[in-house]
Amino acid sequence: MVWGAWICLLSPLAAACLITLGGQRLSRRGAGYLATAACFVAFGGAVASFIGLLGRDGSQREILSTAWTWITGGSYQSGLSILIDPLSVFMMLIVSGVGALIVWYSVGYMDGDTEERRYFAYMSLFVFSMLLLVQGGNLLLLLAGWGMVGLSSYLLIGFWHERPSAIAAAKKAFVMNAIGDATMALAFFLLIEKANSLDFGILGGQYSSTVANLVALGLLGGAVAKSAQIPLHTWLPDAMEGPTPVSALIHAATMVTAGVYLIVRTHAIFEQAPKIADLAAGLGALTLLLAGLIALVQVDIKRVIAYSTMSQIGYMFLGAGIGSYPNAMFHLMTHAFFKALLFMAAGIVIHALINEQDIRKMGGLRQLSPKTYWGFLIGSLALVGIFPFAGFFSKDSILAAAMAKGTYGYILWAAGLAGTFLTGLYTFRLLFLVFWGEPSAFVREHFHALGRDVIAVSLAVPVGVLAVLSIVGGWIQFSPWWHPVTTWLQTVAEPTVTPESWQEWLSIALSLLLGLSGIGVAWLIYGARRLAVPRLPFAQRTLEHKFYFDEAYDALFYTPAVSLANLLRRGVEQPLIADSGRDLGDDTRDLGGLVARAQTGLLRTYALAIASSVAVLAIVFVVVK
Amino acid sequence: MTTLLICLPLAAALILWLLPLNPISAGSLALLAALAEVGVWIQLLVRYDFTKGGLQFSDQHVWFKDLNASYHVGVYGFSVWLIGLTVVVMAAAIAYGVWAGRERARAYMGLMLFLTGAIVGVFTAQDLLLFYAFFEAMLIPLYVLVGVWGGPGRMGATLKFVLYTMAGSLLMLASIVVYGLSEHTFDLTKIGQSSSQWIFLGFVAAFAIKAPLFPLHGWLPDAYRESSPEVAAVLSGVVSKAAVYGFLRIAVAKFPQPVHDFRAPILALAAVGLIYGSLLAFRAPDLRGVIAYSSLAQMGLITMGVFAVNDLGLDGSVLQMVNHGLVSATMFLLAGMVERRALTGELGRLGGMARGRPALATVLLTTGVIALAVPLSSAFAGEFLILAGIFQRGWGWSVAGAVAIVLAAMYVLRLVSAVLHREVGPSVSDSALDLRPAELGVTVPLLACLLALSIWPAAITQHSFRGDHGAADVAAQFK
Amino acid sequence: MIALLGPEASWYLGVAAFLFATGALGVLLRRNPLIVLLSLEIMLNGGNLALIGFARNLGDGGGQIFALAVMAVAASEVVVGLGLIVALNRKRVTLDVDRLNTLRG
Repeated sequence: MVWGAWICLLSPLAAACLITLGGQRLSRRGAGYLATAACFVAFGGAVASFIGLLGRDGSQREILSTAWTWITGGSYQSGLSILIDPLSVFMMLIVSGVGALIVWYSVGYMDGDTEERRYFAYMSLFVFSMLLLVQGGNLLLLLAGWGMVGLSSYLLIGFWHERPSAIAAAKKAFVMNAIGDATMALAFFLLIEKANSLDFGILGGQYSSTVANLVALGLLGGAVAKSAQIPLHTWLPDAMEGPTPVSALIHAATMVTAGVYLIVRTHAIFEQAPKIADLAAGLGALTLLLAGLIALVQVDIKRVIAYSTMSQIGYMFLGAGIGSYPNAMFHLMTHAFFKALLFMAAGIVIHALINEQDIRKMGGLRQLSPKTYWGFLIGSLALVGIFPFAGFFSKDSILAAAMAKGTYGYILWAAGLAGTFLTGLYTFRLLFLVFWGEPSAFVREHFHALGRDVIAVSLAVPVGVLAVLSIVGGWIQFSPWWHPVTTWLQTVAEPTVTPESWQEWLSIALSLLLGLSGIGVAWLIYGARRLAVPRLPFAQRTLEHKFYFDEAYDALFYTPAVSLANLLRRGVEQPLIADSGRDLGDDTRDLGGLVARAQTGLLRTYALAIASSVAVLAIVFVVVK
Repeated sequence: MTTLLICLPLAAALILWLLPLNPISAGSLALLAALAEVGVWIQLLVRYDFTKGGLQFSDQHVWFKDLNASYHVGVYGFSVWLIGLTVVVMAAAIAYGVWAGRERARAYMGLMLFLTGAIVGVFTAQDLLLFYAFFEAMLIPLYVLVGVWGGPGRMGATLKFVLYTMAGSLLMLASIVVYGLSEHTFDLTKIGQSSSQWIFLGFVAAFAIKAPLFPLHGWLPDAYRESSPEVAAVLSGVVSKAAVYGFLRIAVAKFPQPVHDFRAPILALAAVGLIYGSLLAFRAPDLRGVIAYSSLAQMGLITMGVFAVNDLGLDGSVLQMVNHGLVSATMFLLAGMVERRALTGELGRLGGMARGRPALATVLLTTGVIALAVPLSSAFAGEFLILAGIFQRGWGWSVAGAVAIVLAAMYVLRLVSAVLHREVGPSVSDSALDLRPAELGVTVPLLACLLALSIWPAAITQHSFRGDHGAADVAAQFK
Repeated sequence: MIALLGPEASWYLGVAAFLFATGALGVLLRRNPLIVLLSLEIMLNGGNLALIGFARNLGDGGGQIFALAVMAVAASEVVVGLGLIVALNRKRVTLDVDRLNTLRG
């Protein structure tokens, strides 16, 4: 089992190294298959670990395997270790499983690109980084995985590096993630000062409320940046510049969920800092509303799905913040399934329309791509949370848990319900605009169907698998009646709130109702075209500008940084270096000139000098004597 | 063994200067000597007993009996790593110089080898006068290397460099004389601690100029811009570390009370340098400028680690010295390679070089990523330790460091994108080739060292200071 | 004790000072090098007078011997100086100390 976990972690890294060193000797398709195979091997390792853990009973399910001491500083040390426990195995299965499917899908999607090898090297690196994040045996390795994931994200968003917009988006993503890294590092420094260690065990220690609050805040900062929650969310929509499978893997299923994993993993500290936990839940609620609203006006197919991701992660943050950890993780799992499915289906659409992503140009694809339509429909229904699809089971239990949290919880609950309505609305707006109606002129001109070759297989099979999972994946837990997921994760993260039965059923009913009404409204406006799109110019503009966050950040941070740097260069550096050297030389020369004035060349001056000095000396000696 | 480490390159330099060899033989002999030096260092590494620690392989001969000054050399745990950094970077620099072809190769290679010997001497000298002698001996070949083989503005750059360094060294000499005479010995292993602030400041002045520490960095941008790439690599990679070594070996170890009194101002200057260098690197218009200012920033960080005077800070600063030396050297060599192809270093005229040049893209990207201390890299390990250490002296310093982390991401990514990404720049032509095997042979070993350190940073952090005393008891380290 | 005839030492010193001052003023204020040399001689003579006066007062012959030595030196120096001035004259250079300032810093 321990071997399984190490193989899971290292096989994608091996693939990345092999592809990089192989260079031209490896064919492009070969690189793709190597990467896919490595991910499936990783999945195998994860399954082996899972089976291994199943064989043990609850209290025995925590194994720490250390390779060697990674870093030391006097008495502090951190090892290169991986942790095998229910939570990490849960994430390993999701990351390697969904990852393998998406890498396989990429073989078809990226076929023909000249830089395919680089793509698969980066994808393998990403899978390794994400696995390191979830398997890391101490906070330092978690941070290592955290940063590497950010790096892989940068590399993959900026994959088509000839495009300035892609490079700008990649840099933005990395820098915002770096802000999160910095706040986490500060939290870690505080922990080292107090506990002289970064092992997970120290999180359970007793800390003063100030220390606990600061640590939790630092961790929250990192989580917010990585999971694109408000206020560090502006990088995610821009990240859609990357290839679609990248969006599916990184910005839907795995990387962006790392923040949720972090909160659940470090829940002991958050429980000691209840205000920060409430803040996390509040940010989640705020994000899920705002992202849902913004998604209503987006015209790029991938951006709608991106904002949807942001919104759904808001639900997960809400769940984790109120202490309903297993439900948050369960929603993470189902979300991975249906969001990846949505992205991949969208990818097929984009591919079929030769890289067109504007939904205003689409329409009527239901007739032309029926299977893609079915996949998209399944994913959408799962997303809105309609019975019996996956999202139904996971989302509602979070809402129910919110009800059990007191007044503040009720506010969150209301936000979550409102979000359900919005989810129905924007998701089905997208579906109706893209797939229903008559094929638009653009579609008729540009659509080209996929053939029946190996590319089509690589595109279709993963989509199919995920569609099945989006249907049945949720059946693994239904809060009122059976909850194996909660039981599985209980040893690691015991939920601190348990909703009552009536709260569960009320949430289920209301959420279903609101979801269906959202779908209904969307049908009225976009499907059957019976209602016109409401005209609210101010709201429209605000939403289109994404609540002006980008502009605010530009004005608050980027422009001042540039101005400050320029000011320093002109005001300090220039006078300090260029001019200081020159001024020093000039001043020395002037001083020399001043002194040289004593050399008049006139006899009388010298004579006077001698005479006066002798006189002065004589007087001095006489006086002193 | 220590004397061999110092004298091998000096002897090779002498041979090069005396014998009338043609450039190819001269280059080969120099390269051979450099690699032999690396071999001797590996021997030292293997034979140094890290569990015992302390001064090993020491040689002592009487020099001035009445002053109690002797030729006393030896190595400590952390000196082993600094010497390793020196010989590896110098070997890479000499290899690059041989490949690039320099005029008057004999003189050039001789000077580089002489410089190697002088720097190793600085790291191993255990006598104050000997230390000073080697410290000054470092300056002479640099003066000639920059002044003769440099770019168009080399005379001004050399003059500034020499004047600045000289001023500091003279203050240090005054301090050495007063200190040694008052303690009646110049031997660093026997000299007692002092609480004199003036002597301390004299030493600090010299090292602060050489490191450099804001605001005494006036010589840095021009010197790094005008020298040839491999000399810049040596300057920023190795020579600056001699200054930090001086901080550690002399200033911190022998002046506990002044360190305590001046800690806040020195940390403040280092922190300001860190942020200031990062901001200027973010807007620098040319390749060399970015690397030069980032060097200023990193030296500020390392100085912060030294003056934290605790286990975390000291271990971190030793690790970061090696990291930054390797990274900086690689970056300057890469900058040289790019400048060779595009005939300019201006970022506005570069761009799109990744197309068709996978080797260059991979090497530059990997180096850049390590430079910005991506977590899991050795640079991250060093930075993390330093900031964790300095946190215990005041949380504000770590916040400055955290801001610098974000700024580092910004300026490194800007550099990488400006060279590799977006549309092809006006100075980049299709005939500019990818990295040749020789160029890969120079940069890849440096990168391999960095990657090896990333996998096992504890190699340095666990093997620098004597475990039983703890790094923080710096004075006890050097008995 | 040999009786000292004539005025007291202060008178000698006064005359010597007067001579010295006159000579000094002449060195500093006159422009013709010949006159400067002349003034220099007067200064020297003033010094000599002071020496002899003290020799007379203290009954020490050393002062007179010293005065003879000074005269010898003065004579040699005048030779050199006059030679320089004659050479200058031959080269048609102006004999004006204020104009002779090319050895300037």
